[in-house]
Amino acid sequence: MEDEPQPPRNQLRSYPPVESWSDWVEHDPQAWPEKAERHYRLIPTICFNCEAACGLLAYVDKETGEIAKIEGNPVHPASRGRLCAKGLAIMNQLQSADRVLYPMKRKGPRGSNQWERTTWDEVLETFGARIRRAIREGRGEEVMYHVGRPGHDGYMERVLQGWGVDGHNSHVNICSAAARLGYFLWQGADRPSPDYANARCILLISAHLESGHYFNPHAQRIIEAKMAGAKLIVVDPRLSNTASCADSWLAPHPGTETAVLLAMAKVILDSGRFDARFMRQWVNWEDYEADGFVARGKTFEEFVTALRTHYAPYTPEFAERESGVPAEAIAQAAQDVADAGSRFASHVWRASAAGNLGGWQSARALVLLQALTGSMGTRGGLSPNSWDKFVPEPFRVPPAQERWNELLYPPEWPLSHHEMSQLLPHFLKEGRGRLDVYFTRVFNPVWTYPDGFSWMEVLRDERLVGLHAALTPVWSETAAFADYVLPMGLACERHDVQSQETQAGSWIGFRQPVVRVFRELEHGERVHYTYEANPGEVWEEDEFWTSLSWHIDPDGSMGIRQWFESQTEPGTPVSVDEYYGHIFDHSVPGLPAAAAREGLTPLQYMRKYGAFEVARDVYSVNEAPLSGADTTTQERDLLSKDGRAVGVLVGGRSVVGYETPSRKLELYSTTMRDWKWPEFALPEYIRSHVGPAALAVAGGETAGPSGDGMPRVEWPTHARGDVLVLVPTYRLPTLIHTRNNNAKWLFEISHKNPLLMSSTDASRLQVRTGDLVKVHTEIGWFVISLWVTEGLKPGVVACSHHLGRWRRDRDEAIERWGSSVVSVEEPEPGKWMLRVKEATQPWTSSDPDSQRIWWSDTGVHQNLTFPVHPDPVSGMQCWHQVVKVEKAGGDDRYGDVFVDTALAHQVYLRWKSLCRPAPGPGDLRRPLWFARVARPAPEAYLMSPAG
Amino acid sequence: MRYGFVIDNRKCIGCHACSVACKAENQVPLGVFRTWVRCVDKGQFPDTRRYFQVTRCNHCDNPPCVAVCPVAAMFKRSNGIIDFDPSRCIGCKACLQACPYDAIYVDPERGTAAKCHFCAHRVDAGMEPACVVACPEQAIVAGDIDDPTSEISRLIDREPVRVRRPEKQTRPKLFYVGAEAAVIVPGQARNVGTYLFATVNTKAHRAALQAEPGRSSGPAIVSYDVEHLRPWGWQVPAYFWTKSVSAGVLALPALARAAEGLAIGPRLETVLGLTGVVFMGLTAALLVSDLSRPERFFQVLMRPQPRSWVARGAFLLLAYGVLCTCFFLSSWAGAGNVASALFWPTASAGLLAAVYTAFLFGQCKGRDLWQTRFLPPHLVAQWVLASSAVLTLLPGSLGVTPRLRHAAVVGLAVGLLAHGLIVLGELAMPHATDSARRAVRVVTRGSLRDTFWIGAIGAGWLLPAVLLAAGRNSPLVVGIAGVGALAGLLAFEWCFVMAGQDVANS
Repeated sequence: MEDEPQPPRNQLRSYPPVESWSDWVEHDPQAWPEKAERHYRLIPTICFNCEAACGLLAYVDKETGEIAKIEGNPVHPASRGRLCAKGLAIMNQLQSADRVLYPMKRKGPRGSNQWERTTWDEVLETFGARIRRAIREGRGEEVMYHVGRPGHDGYMERVLQGWGVDGHNSHVNICSAAARLGYFLWQGADRPSPDYANARCILLISAHLESGHYFNPHAQRIIEAKMAGAKLIVVDPRLSNTASCADSWLAPHPGTETAVLLAMAKVILDSGRFDARFMRQWVNWEDYEADGFVARGKTFEEFVTALRTHYAPYTPEFAERESGVPAEAIAQAAQDVADAGSRFASHVWRASAAGNLGGWQSARALVLLQALTGSMGTRGGLSPNSWDKFVPEPFRVPPAQERWNELLYPPEWPLSHHEMSQLLPHFLKEGRGRLDVYFTRVFNPVWTYPDGFSWMEVLRDERLVGLHAALTPVWSETAAFADYVLPMGLACERHDVQSQETQAGSWIGFRQPVVRVFRELEHGERVHYTYEANPGEVWEEDEFWTSLSWHIDPDGSMGIRQWFESQTEPGTPVSVDEYYGHIFDHSVPGLPAAAAREGLTPLQYMRKYGAFEVARDVYSVNEAPLSGADTTTQERDLLSKDGRAVGVLVGGRSVVGYETPSRKLELYSTTMRDWKWPEFALPEYIRSHVGPAALAVAGGETAGPSGDGMPRVEWPTHARGDVLVLVPTYRLPTLIHTRNNNAKWLFEISHKNPLLMSSTDASRLQVRTGDLVKVHTEIGWFVISLWVTEGLKPGVVACSHHLGRWRRDRDEAIERWGSSVVSVEEPEPGKWMLRVKEATQPWTSSDPDSQRIWWSDTGVHQNLTFPVHPDPVSGMQCWHQVVKVEKAGGDDRYGDVFVDTALAHQVYLRWKSLCRPAPGPGDLRRPLWFARVARPAPEAYLMSPAG
Repeated sequence: MRYGFVIDNRKCIGCHACSVACKAENQVPLGVFRTWVRCVDKGQFPDTRRYFQVTRCNHCDNPPCVAVCPVAAMFKRSNGIIDFDPSRCIGCKACLQACPYDAIYVDPERGTAAKCHFCAHRVDAGMEPACVVACPEQAIVAGDIDDPTSEISRLIDREPVRVRRPEKQTRPKLFYVGAEAAVIVPGQARNVGTYLFATVNTKAHRAALQAEPGRSSGPAIVSYDVEHLRPWGWQVPAYFWTKSVSAGVLALPALARAAEGLAIGPRLETVLGLTGVVFMGLTAALLVSDLSRPERFFQVLMRPQPRSWVARGAFLLLAYGVLCTCFFLSSWAGAGNVASALFWPTASAGLLAAVYTAFLFGQCKGRDLWQTRFLPPHLVAQWVLASSAVLTLLPGSLGVTPRLRHAAVVGLAVGLLAHGLIVLGELAMPHATDSARRAVRVVTRGSLRDTFWIGAIGAGWLLPAVLLAAGRNSPLVVGIAGVGALAGLLAFEWCFVMAGQDVANS
């Protein structure tokens, strides 16, 4: 690797030089100041704790053969050797006495938490036979894989398509689907790739400096830009660490962010400070139709006039009335953005997009600022993620399945960006289907999802869920309702290839089972399966899925086995070495050459370095020339091949453009128009279900207009108190949802999630920090303590979502550093009460620290009390809640949760009624150009299949 | 070569990566931190900001922890790093008291002092400390501040930097760029009894934290910090008291002999000698039992660090203990000449044993309350007070003559007067530092107020003063006054020792 950082002369080094990674000597810190030498082999891998996939360097002690410590991998192009608290806490996860070490099988009734050890062979036999029968009987949709943390680009799509099953479910609709839809409509790629490092102005709608999508790599580059003089604008109702670092913190009322952004756009439009050349060339203004104006055949200048007219109502004063952000601050932010010109970078992830009805429009409004400033694809601007995320072609690609699973993509939400996963319990209750085999993979919906008690009701019912396997490194609230708990490896215990769009360039990272690699390299051992080298019998999914596929189709007669068969040794399953060797040999440009320069095979190179930089300084890919041979037809400026648009004529040149139908940036979405949402063909301000108007209705101040596209809030009879907006989505830089995986060092720093309340609201309610309050939602309540702050917009309360884990038994090994012992009771069907029986306290284990746990407060589980709020367009769970907050009463105790799941189902039905179902044009279930996970064959898109 | 740190607050995002990197590298147990990120929320909506401060050992050029360490377990390397050797540490915790930055803790696994040691084991191999490597923002810069070409030197030259508590004259080598007063100056931000995402470690909390909860929002509140155990427990005020009694057995007799030529008889010599020996034994036992590695106590005598007043004190106590024992034995055995020859040396050693603690407490730079210049005269006053009080309790049958009793009453009165004036001065006179003021507040209005007002002042001063004024000729009344004075002295030592430790330095 050419770019290994070198220290200046006579100064301390940050990292061991690569040439000494095979035998690195350090003094044992425990023996110091005595100089006791320890010899290590350093083996790179990538982190699995958040989605960023930062580079890790595992120090394997040559004497013990175990991982002694984890540091950053200096040659990783994104993380550059640096790590966050979560990545550094991996040692806790690896060494935890509470992890699952062997495959476990349920003994008693489901959910009773009685387990016995089983073998991997028995697991493969059982699941192989059951899946085989389902597929043979044409019940492929009853086999579902549901992933929380992905971590391997495209892998499971290949497996499921190899089985011919449409069974991939994910967590995206409770996470990022809304922002994705907004970005996708503009650029045909569902994520932004801001070039933070080179930006002159950065606008963040979310706390990217502590919890961004790619936290560590992005935070590095944002601060780099700031130190170089970039202006940082942060939009967040809450004073996050990020807002604290901002030059300008704008705190709008939740759900009004789009109004603020459109007002900024109006200021830029009116002041003429937009990049007309860029707009004319790269925005699909010719498709524009609004307010009776049709751009086709008109001039660009006429279009601009029409656009100004259209956005005229979005004055900064209007935005101030909606959001509470002063009009001058909005106008100033617009000037700062305009000043940056093509070096303006922005990001919305979760935050406004994930919180609000219509939140997807906040992403569109944000990209409008990018388009106006001509900062798309530029140095210091914003690129589509597809330019910077490199996904290599996997080993042998099976054909697309010819089936469509309506439990994943139901007809009511034809534009949902991802699977309607949060509605699965309601779909099963409605009788839309059942699951015969259900794999949850690092996925904990009982805790993480809204309406967890509905999940519990479904998961405990063996008629709805036949056989449930939880693939997870640790015990969880959901694993407690599985039939099998199958231990899968952590960051240092598995294979994956992963890439993320962290900068204006692309790379791949290689996750490796470190001890296995150590034994192979250091001792020349031949390790057949990763569980032989991992702790206990912890396995990895790669080998598991290959083995399971062989058990489904042992003789190859179903046509499944072939996709998992070795090419070099036919008749045997493909090994991980062959699988990744194939990818690295064939699918990563530049890697074979780089490896050859060092006399290594590409696989050896990746085992040595753990990462490879595929490209750097990637800009203006839209302007890449399209060779004549690539096209067959031309309609107006659009260049097509085989009926699919592949490029566009811009300024007389044939270029590839963007991945949209017009091959341009789509300000005006014909898809929205054609799929029954013409009023949202442009970026518009959709009033949120928690916006000021909705609050007034929920508080009984005004009567709600009917038919306004706004779901009604119907309060349970017990709900009392002041009406406020709850922002329940924010993350901390130290925790990982429910995937902290026994990281004691993280819980020691962050273990409670009080309800944040502004001092203004607190004085009205006459409450102080530490007081207990009862927070009512549409379906129940929770009791929590307060933190009164000046760092929150009045009218808003906020609560971080990581904390409040629970176990029903003191000895249950669910995150004991951060969970309380609770009773969960259902006194009447559908009415659930959770109450803390015992706070976390010291316990005896092989780790002396378990006797030193000094905190007892481990937070409150709020998500249980949230109903599903599926956005009618994006399908995203709209997380923010209108709540009533009152002082807790005498019977209320800290951590109490009550939920009525019958009410939860009613809320689901109310939101569902806002939908505009498929079919769309051409009898389609979904626009063909829309991305879809494990994309089925085109015929499957038809609502009524031909014939 | 002098290694130092720059923490660049313009870059810090409060992510706690440094804290966890340190825990991982140095296997730091739960409950203690070598480095942590103190957070303060300041301002009123919407002009609010959260400030971060990476908080740790300052690797001082003039390190008080090294000066006070009796066994040189805490030491300064030639490269400027303040390192420690857990195999030498006896767990006296004097370094915790000496550090004005609360950077040192007692490791619960080993029972020895520990702190950030600049990852000296890594630096020795040419590697940067673990926190520096981890920090996503490269906000922690480690390097040689003597090398003008180093990044750290250039930063210090170019940017305005601040150190924590410069008035302590420790010459820290940790410099903050962009420091905020509300964070860097102790006591500027208020504690509200809990933190934003963490609770207060009640197993280690300080009384001051509870003493000061006010309104739950305001101009600056601490949103994250780490608590520290009170290093010294009940044994230390108890040691103070037993030592005053022991060291003072010959104080008043010596003063009486010097002033009025009053000699004491062999019987009283034996009784006083025995009292001195017994209370010195108690003193030693208390000191050893407060060590977190008591089995290593002899190390202080085997390899003392000569600048340390803990080590010096050990030798003074040893000398006094030996003299006092010889005095007692010779008197008991009837060797009056020997006892007589030992009288003055023993009394003088007693004075030294009584007063040296003032210098030990003076070395505790982290305890502003203890930095008072009145402490040496105060200990002399206490020496006389304790000695007089003990004599008032002894019956005439043990050889306390009326004249001697009268001298004891005078001594008691003078001792009380001096003690009272000094305490009054401590309370009333302006304190040099805010930390000292806060410590006084803990005594007078905080968690120690009952012990102070009822015990130290009521029982220990007012009661004896009134009794002496009313019935100085009655042995019973005088005796009760003596009991009150001794009890009050114990209460006072309690307040003085605890309040000094109850004010956090961060």
